[in-house]
Amino acid sequence: MINRRQFLAASSLAAFYGSGSPAFGQSGSLPWRNWSGGLRADPAGRIAPASEAELAAALRSTNGSLRPVGSGHSFSPLVPTDGHLVILDRLGGLRDHDNDAFTATFGAGTRLSEVGRALFEIGQAPLNLPDIDRQTLAGAISTGTHGTGLTLHSLSGDVTALRLMTVDGSVLEITEASDADLFKAACVSVGALGIFTEITLKTRAPYRLKAINRAQRTEDALAEFEARAEQHRHFELFPLTHSDFSLVLSIDETEEPVNNPPLSPEEEAAFGEAMRSWMAIPPAERRPLINGLAEQIAPSESIDAAHRILSNVRSNRFNEMEYAVPREVGAQCLREVLDTIAREEIDVVFPLEYRYVRGDDLWLSMDEGGDRAAISVHRTAMEDYRPLFDAVEPIFWKYGGRPHWGKIHSLGYAELKALYPRFDDFCDLRRSLDPDGRLLNDHLRRLFNA
Amino acid sequence: MSRPGLLSLTALLLLAACTQEANDSAAAGPSTTVTEASMPDTPPAPGTGELTPLNMEQWARSCALCHVRGEGGAPVLGDAAAWAPRLAQGEEMLLNHTVEGLNNMPPLGYCMDCESGDFVALIRFMGGSR
Repeated sequence: MINRRQFLAASSLAAFYGSGSPAFGQSGSLPWRNWSGGLRADPAGRIAPASEAELAAALRSTNGSLRPVGSGHSFSPLVPTDGHLVILDRLGGLRDHDNDAFTATFGAGTRLSEVGRALFEIGQAPLNLPDIDRQTLAGAISTGTHGTGLTLHSLSGDVTALRLMTVDGSVLEITEASDADLFKAACVSVGALGIFTEITLKTRAPYRLKAINRAQRTEDALAEFEARAEQHRHFELFPLTHSDFSLVLSIDETEEPVNNPPLSPEEEAAFGEAMRSWMAIPPAERRPLINGLAEQIAPSESIDAAHRILSNVRSNRFNEMEYAVPREVGAQCLREVLDTIAREEIDVVFPLEYRYVRGDDLWLSMDEGGDRAAISVHRTAMEDYRPLFDAVEPIFWKYGGRPHWGKIHSLGYAELKALYPRFDDFCDLRRSLDPDGRLLNDHLRRLFNA
Repeated sequence: MSRPGLLSLTALLLLAACTQEANDSAAAGPSTTVTEASMPDTPPAPGTGELTPLNMEQWARSCALCHVRGEGGAPVLGDAAAWAPRLAQGEEMLLNHTVEGLNNMPPLGYCMDCESGDFVALIRFMGGSR
């Protein structure tokens, strides 16, 4: 028997890169690539401050464009620049906390893995976390990155205060009370307003979570999705392409003792073999094979501190497209995506992801204005993602989908303006804080009509 | 205790030590780098590399994410058998793989502020060739 964790661990097969390209860019500085390897830049230089004073001095002493970078986990070209990269790695760590108010302030470059660990050590816990723990807090906030849960916001929705350095080196301390518009714009702002130096999060007392994984027919899972999304703290599906099944994950608080053994390499390898066997046959012929395997998936449980259940490493690299559609049309949209993949025999074995996120009022949040259903499609980093992404992106548009800012999409200013009521307000604010457009690259110019 | 257990414990203790040293070094003075052309003319010769306080910090926040527990098949710190075939490829090749990414290792190994000299020092440190 196999379980869902084995499945997901092995579902992106190892990517194999050649070593033919030179390690050093044309500028003489190290080139930059994103996590999946699909994006590359040859920056003129890199700024790696260890303090706000160092960042301010560096911003004032450089000319040309600037782009902040966290851990490089965005698949959309938010970072590439021929100017200077502003690296947040040295602006990390827990800076302050309040165990009565349950807030904690971190350096903007703190990785999410460190956020969970640091909160645990001071007697706090995150309200929620995205499922990958390698991103920096600044990167996750900037792109509206989220976890799962109908009662839980994206990470941006848990922010209570920000310190933002504008391109002239001045620092803005931003809270909803101090400037509600600036706060709601900055909480999801793709590094277009300035450079985050500190981020304060709303937290809570430590808690333990129990995750239960099982396989279920996708139509059965969708039929009960609304009820289970309201019943569980976290509930999501991982629909298997070219099959009738999904892996189903529910997570709830528990007082039960920790029980979270790691997968052995042998367990991961065994399922990898199954995945490779699927890829060896035409997509149209896979359904009986995958259905048969899915029926053998035994339910499994894991129990641990919240941050260890919610967020983990994804070793195998991939590229991803994700759109958030209104909750009420989520299931219909997902069905159309799955049907399209099957009908067009798109050769993908990587499971989709389907989940709800609570609505908020942040200007550029995918969840602005109401609860949304987030639907993700993936290709391994070694594969050409275009046949899949090109086929499904128009389906997301049809259902009013908003693209995840850090994931691949093809929308520009005109389309985005129609999706976000405060989009032009954000563009105006961006111009006021960065009138010379130093924080823009080609991608951001396209997004913001700059 | 088994050998893997010993290695893991050693790595975790080292990680704690590195973090402490990094914290201590943070008060020592400015560490901003604004680099324009960072490729050294000649990388340090094998066996002569030393980890600076900044390298220790880089190790703790970047390399250690995967090279302590072997995430994604990463060779574990100090596992000579795992590192030997990699080191045999030569430092230039290892540096190239680090910058470009290889298999499950992402480009730059999560160390966005590492210069080529930092990578060489960190490779030597993890592979035990320093």
